[in-house]
Amino acid sequence: MSSWLWQRRRSRRMNCMQVARVLQSYLDGESDEFTARRVAEHVEDCRRCGLEVAVYREIKHALARHDTPDAATLSRLRGFSEALMGSGPPDDQVSRTPSGDGA
Amino acid sequence: MDTGDRGARDKAFAQYVLPEVEVLLRVAMTLTAQVADAEDLVQDTLLRAYRAVDRFDGEHPRAWLLTIMRRAEMNRHRRRRPHLLDDPDTDLDRLASTPAGPDAGPEEIVVGEAFDEVVDAALADLPDKHRQVVRLVDIDGLSYAEAAGLLDVPEGTVMSRLHRARKRIRARLTAAGLAPKRGVL
Repeated sequence: MSSWLWQRRRSRRMNCMQVARVLQSYLDGESDEFTARRVAEHVEDCRRCGLEVAVYREIKHALARHDTPDAATLSRLRGFSEALMGSGPPDDQVSRTPSGDGA
Repeated sequence: MDTGDRGARDKAFAQYVLPEVEVLLRVAMTLTAQVADAEDLVQDTLLRAYRAVDRFDGEHPRAWLLTIMRRAEMNRHRRRRPHLLDDPDTDLDRLASTPAGPDAGPEEIVVGEAFDEVVDAALADLPDKHRQVVRLVDIDGLSYAEAAGLLDVPEGTVMSRLHRARKRIRARLTAAGLAPKRGVL
């Protein structure tokens, strides 16, 4: 690679503070493709930022494992939806078990 | 409503709404924190969605449903809790700053059961508005735009609450010796 090209590429690289500003959006898949690529390049070379990415990724993973919706409630709500399609909405106030499944 | 209208409405409901029931329940749990309230809120949302689905253009059904849920939740609040919660953002600016020494701590992450327990405890200790955003994005899987629409706040507010909340979680992990102290982030 020519020295000019190397210098140009180097000047476009993000530093740690720039990465810090966009890191959370990057982790959430909310940054644009160009920014994501630049963050990924920096993180690959910078041990400190690489470690920060790893920590925040693990936090996200831990949170994602946090809750699963109650299966019985989910089942009742799906039943409710199917009852709506079968007979339409009631005219009166919302009732908890319109399908009459006794839940 | 004649049979044709009913058929088209049922078809649209099945196509756009049924696949989102689980997400709606997750989000409702985040908004209400009580299973019974969450179930009521989802039922209310489903009813409103069913009544409106024939006017829905088919674009971004999740965002459409979350808007309906937000309105339903606002009605619930008007009925039950007319006061607003204090905004914890200002205090959090002070609390969220992580004291990061230049050369402290082992540079490794200790992932395991203890890691998850510290994250859960830190999540529980967050101010309501910050915990809510973390749950919506990291647990319920909403985008920033979807969370912002649901909460009726700018996307920037979602981002800043999320970032501060994660910094606090990270600080708790550091204090527990499960994450390195160094970091500019």
